[in-house]
Amino acid sequence: MLSQYIISQVVNGLCQGFIYALIALGFAVIVGIVGLATFTHGEIIMIGAYASYYIFLACGHNLILGLLASFSASWIVGIIIYKLCYERFLEAPEHISLICTIGFSMLLKNLAQIVFGAEKKPMLNVIENQIYKFGPVEISKVQFVIMGTVIVLSTTMMIIFNKTKWGIALRSVSQNREAAALVGINVKQTSMIGNCIGCAMAGVAGMLIGIYYQSISPTMGATLSMKAFSAATLGGLTSVPLSSLGGVVLGLIENLGISISTASFRDVFSFGFLIIMLIFKPTGFVKRKGARP
Amino acid sequence: MKKNFVKKVTAVLLAGTMVASLVACGSTSESGNSATETTAVVDGTSKGTIKLGLVAPLTGVHAEYGQGFQAATKIAADEINAAGGANGYQLEIEVKDSAADPKTSADIVTQFCEDKDIKAIIGDFTSSACMADAPIVDQYQTVLLSPTASNPDYAPMSEYCFSVMYNQSNMAPWVGKSVIGKYMGVKSVAVMYLNTDWGISTNEYLLKGLEEAGVEVLADETYEENETDFSSVIAKLKASNAEAVCILDQGNVPTIINQIKSSGWNPLLVTQGPGASQQLLNLCGENAEDLIITDSSYITEDNPATKDFYQKFYAINQCAPTDHSLCAYNTVQMLAKAIVSIGDGEVTRESIKDALKTTSYDGMAGTVQFDENGGGVRQFLILGVEDGKYVVKEDYGFE
Repeated sequence: MLSQYIISQVVNGLCQGFIYALIALGFAVIVGIVGLATFTHGEIIMIGAYASYYIFLACGHNLILGLLASFSASWIVGIIIYKLCYERFLEAPEHISLICTIGFSMLLKNLAQIVFGAEKKPMLNVIENQIYKFGPVEISKVQFVIMGTVIVLSTTMMIIFNKTKWGIALRSVSQNREAAALVGINVKQTSMIGNCIGCAMAGVAGMLIGIYYQSISPTMGATLSMKAFSAATLGGLTSVPLSSLGGVVLGLIENLGISISTASFRDVFSFGFLIIMLIFKPTGFVKRKGARP
Repeated sequence: MKKNFVKKVTAVLLAGTMVASLVACGSTSESGNSATETTAVVDGTSKGTIKLGLVAPLTGVHAEYGQGFQAATKIAADEINAAGGANGYQLEIEVKDSAADPKTSADIVTQFCEDKDIKAIIGDFTSSACMADAPIVDQYQTVLLSPTASNPDYAPMSEYCFSVMYNQSNMAPWVGKSVIGKYMGVKSVAVMYLNTDWGISTNEYLLKGLEEAGVEVLADETYEENETDFSSVIAKLKASNAEAVCILDQGNVPTIINQIKSSGWNPLLVTQGPGASQQLLNLCGENAEDLIITDSSYITEDNPATKDFYQKFYAINQCAPTDHSLCAYNTVQMLAKAIVSIGDGEVTRESIKDALKTTSYDGMAGTVQFDENGGGVRQFLILGVEDGKYVVKEDYGFE
């Protein structure tokens, strides 16, 4: 009985971790790969979730259409954020654009409350509630979808950023804009597309989170984005797969901690682990200090 | 030439004002004749305006309730003003957003208290915010009438603190003893409650009721207000093998119910806190089936008593009102009744407080009055969800 309980808490931890990983993916792309500071990530998640919500309302529970809607809506918001918060401040100190994104995040959150309404919206039964049993392990269909998405997206991102010419160009922009411009890279456009990719990842995460928790609200991204930030920090802020790993580890630690205490201490376990980890290994899971991929 | 023009304009304006005054006097007496059922008393002339402050979470996680307060208090004030005002005084409500943050709420209440025109304050939504406001209204000797604060420690904090929401020391033991123990007839229960002043005190009183009824509590788990993933708490409750789960929360109840059902567990479910809201049914769909819910009102469009309020509220907020909004409506009506009972006396912050103590209001959902501390006293219903709709299982007075 006890082992069954521990197994279920490990599965819950893994699923929670994959949710964090899903958000951390986009965060790692924007902060780590493109080299931009952002505090709008939680709101992009919300925009992605609402885009898919309205598509599901209009066209029925079509996952592909929902995915396209959340991807493109958050991509567009990514362009707006880049134009407003980054483009004019590329040469300015980083905290200028950081503060811009804080302001923009407040604007988005409050606009969403006005436009979409402050109340939660239901996102019921988009993916059938089916539970698979593997011995003592029980996993639902939606949990499978989330785990699969995280694995596919982080692998794809890793290949794009490490193996393709465009990915390498993007990384070079984040390392040295002037040098990148000198070798013929369109710095502004490359940064913008990188930011949009990160935002689109968050948008897709928003849709999946909405499906998993079966409801969405204008404030849904706030808490999750803090955890994603922690997960990306654990991943050294520069690596997409390691940021995902950071998310999974955080989720596991939180849920195992809750199983021996109460859910009120959730943040104590996750942020406590982050602090201890950074004290003893400031680079997170990354091997080299200050390494850029 | 210019002088003549000014004279003409002045004459026309004066004539216009006189005609407007006559029309206004006529309409006031007319509405006064038909306003025998309302709290408004019309003496033919307007004595001026009484300003009330409303502090409510218009943004943040409780925004839907704060916006409900705003709409409901406006409806009540409009009705009273249209019927001639409260004892001839027109009511005006100044609204400020606290985001349910106790510190912001305390700042706003201080601003209201500093404004001598404001005679009483309505709000806030959470007990935590109201308890932060209590020392301030006590210092400034201004009434703070909360629509929803139900922590029993709140109203006794000051003679100026009132609440129209029932007190958890009355309702929660009743839920434990009469609803879970007697109506549901279960032998064991697992409880999950919100880690706030409201949640902690409700849980304490619930446990007393459960103990009285002889119901075994196999798990008693708490969580934070901004929690989104309840799977680890649910796994704990599931491992306890309890017959029923009792959820003490407001906004998180639909998420918790959905996550319990998604985990493949199907216990009996009972909740105290969210009220019989359409929003809960929308968010849970089939998952809400057979849920037992306790409330002190049941507001629908079909109920003749609540139809008018429902329609007016829906026109403003595009969603159905909950008991919280009805309570906000009641606060304005009760303040108006208190002002009426002051009669010819001067309407001051002090006289409103004295009058409010003995005020009772017979509204859409029965009689509302205050206990000796200023806490709300109301009656309760047991409702169940059947085929996606609320059904009254036990009427007022079930013990």
